[in-house]
Amino acid sequence: MHELTWGLPVISYFFLAGMGAGAVTVSGSVLLRKGGFGASRFAVARCGALVGPLPVMLGTFLIVFELGQPFRALNLFHLINLSPMSIGSWFLNIFITLSVLYAITFLPSSAGPGDRLAPLRRGLAWVLVPLGIGVAVYTGIMLGAMPARPLWNSPILAALFTLSALSSGVAIILLMGVFFRRKSSNPAIRADYENSSYMLVTSDALLVGGELMVVFLFIMFAHLTIGDTKYAMATILPGGQLAPLFWGMIVMVGLLIPLIIELYQIVPKLIYGRQFKTVVALEVIVPLAILIGGFALRYVIVVAGQISAPTTL
Amino acid sequence: MSNTNKPVTNRREFVQKLVGGVTVASLASASAMVSSVEATPEGQSKKTKSYGMLIDTRRCIGCHTCSVACKSEFDVPLGVTRSWVEYTEKGTYPNVSRHYLPRLCNHCRHPQCVDVCPTGATYKRKQDGIVVIDSGQCIGCKYCIQACPYDARFLNPVTKVADKCDFCIHRVSKGLVPACVNSCIGGARIFGDLSDPASEISRLLATNPTTVLRPGKGTEPNVYYIGSDHNNEHENNRGWYDVRITTHRKEKGRR
Repeated sequence: MHELTWGLPVISYFFLAGMGAGAVTVSGSVLLRKGGFGASRFAVARCGALVGPLPVMLGTFLIVFELGQPFRALNLFHLINLSPMSIGSWFLNIFITLSVLYAITFLPSSAGPGDRLAPLRRGLAWVLVPLGIGVAVYTGIMLGAMPARPLWNSPILAALFTLSALSSGVAIILLMGVFFRRKSSNPAIRADYENSSYMLVTSDALLVGGELMVVFLFIMFAHLTIGDTKYAMATILPGGQLAPLFWGMIVMVGLLIPLIIELYQIVPKLIYGRQFKTVVALEVIVPLAILIGGFALRYVIVVAGQISAPTTL
Repeated sequence: MSNTNKPVTNRREFVQKLVGGVTVASLASASAMVSSVEATPEGQSKKTKSYGMLIDTRRCIGCHTCSVACKSEFDVPLGVTRSWVEYTEKGTYPNVSRHYLPRLCNHCRHPQCVDVCPTGATYKRKQDGIVVIDSGQCIGCKYCIQACPYDARFLNPVTKVADKCDFCIHRVSKGLVPACVNSCIGGARIFGDLSDPASEISRLLATNPTTVLRPGKGTEPNVYYIGSDHNNEHENNRGWYDVRITTHRKEKGRR
């Protein structure tokens, strides 16, 4: 019945670019901040910087080849106009270039907080934090710009995508940390790892909480409105075609379960000053659940927007 | 905050300033109006047109001649359509009816497709208001296809870029009418310059009840209809009468 004009390549791009941009943004802001992360600051920033550009480039590869004529994509850079896609593609272009440079500054095994590349690294971080947020936010604005697609035509969509991107960025950094930083016989490094892990999980809990709030507003908006938006939202509300995916994969797997586990991990330390609960199983499950939820979010929103339409002619 | 810094003024001065300001402003606007009225005759030759179409659906018999004429005019690939005719079938036997709704690009006054195009490939021509696509610039991102509330655009499977009705720009620029208008056997389509009050379309628009599609989307279409049935399949939710829409587009319901 309804054909999907934007299919899996675009959905994957939204997810991958959001995750990568989120990782680089988090890396940059961790590198630039003074306190909190302590000695592990550089290791966390390095993790995000090295992992971030890859998904963004992969996603960009997907959408460029989805065009059918990949080299036509160069036409995007003949001009810049007020189309969210035009601004977004410039952002993306600059972001990829700078984030690769940023990653390179972390590559040498001798790279450390006070080395020769430190000023360049900090400079790039200052630029990449806003750029990364720009890359994350423009996808939501792009979908939200069209009255012809009532489900997308909401300013809160951009906020939802941005929070989800940042949260996915934290998740991928946490996941990489489990694989590359957790195993260490040195108790000092081990303590640093736990501290950074605590900081990241705390930030992620904040982001996931914010995301839940935005999802609540999104749904409340659907409930309180009538007309095109109400009928479009019916596809994700209980009884709708995509309701199982929305409530199961996004709200449960992607938001509620990770939030509960994260609170279980951080509350003892955050409120009672006790030990941060690190269990390797939880450290893997939480980021994985968040990443699955992040992909499901892009999938459900992009598909639901295209299978719903204005009700009147 | 102290009162000592208050600007010293009184009511009389204020009223004087107000009256002076209003006089100057009204004089300025009046002179602008006068000058624009005077300028019109000289600028007649350079006057921009605003092409539009009026479709009298009472005269449409749903024969698809316009769709076929459009297909042959542009060699439109199989499975996609620039111009098409939708059937709206309503009711339950014996109280039934069928209405025809010829569709095409609305060449809107505020085209969303133009707003979202990232390369400037699609634009509204200043001289005649026709919304066109520069196929050399289009990258086939399909953003405009998403943004069009009328589903008038499609991805051309041959050229892999966006495509749609262009009011037969090659015919219109030579003084002919578009192929669909030329071929309509019922004379249901009237094409012309909306900015010329003496044109047939302007006269008919002024003297008939007309509608546009999805006025709530704010696009301000330049394709008008007389006697069109705006029922959508959404009406079935209410359960009063059955509505069935046949778009005659391959694998495409009405958006």
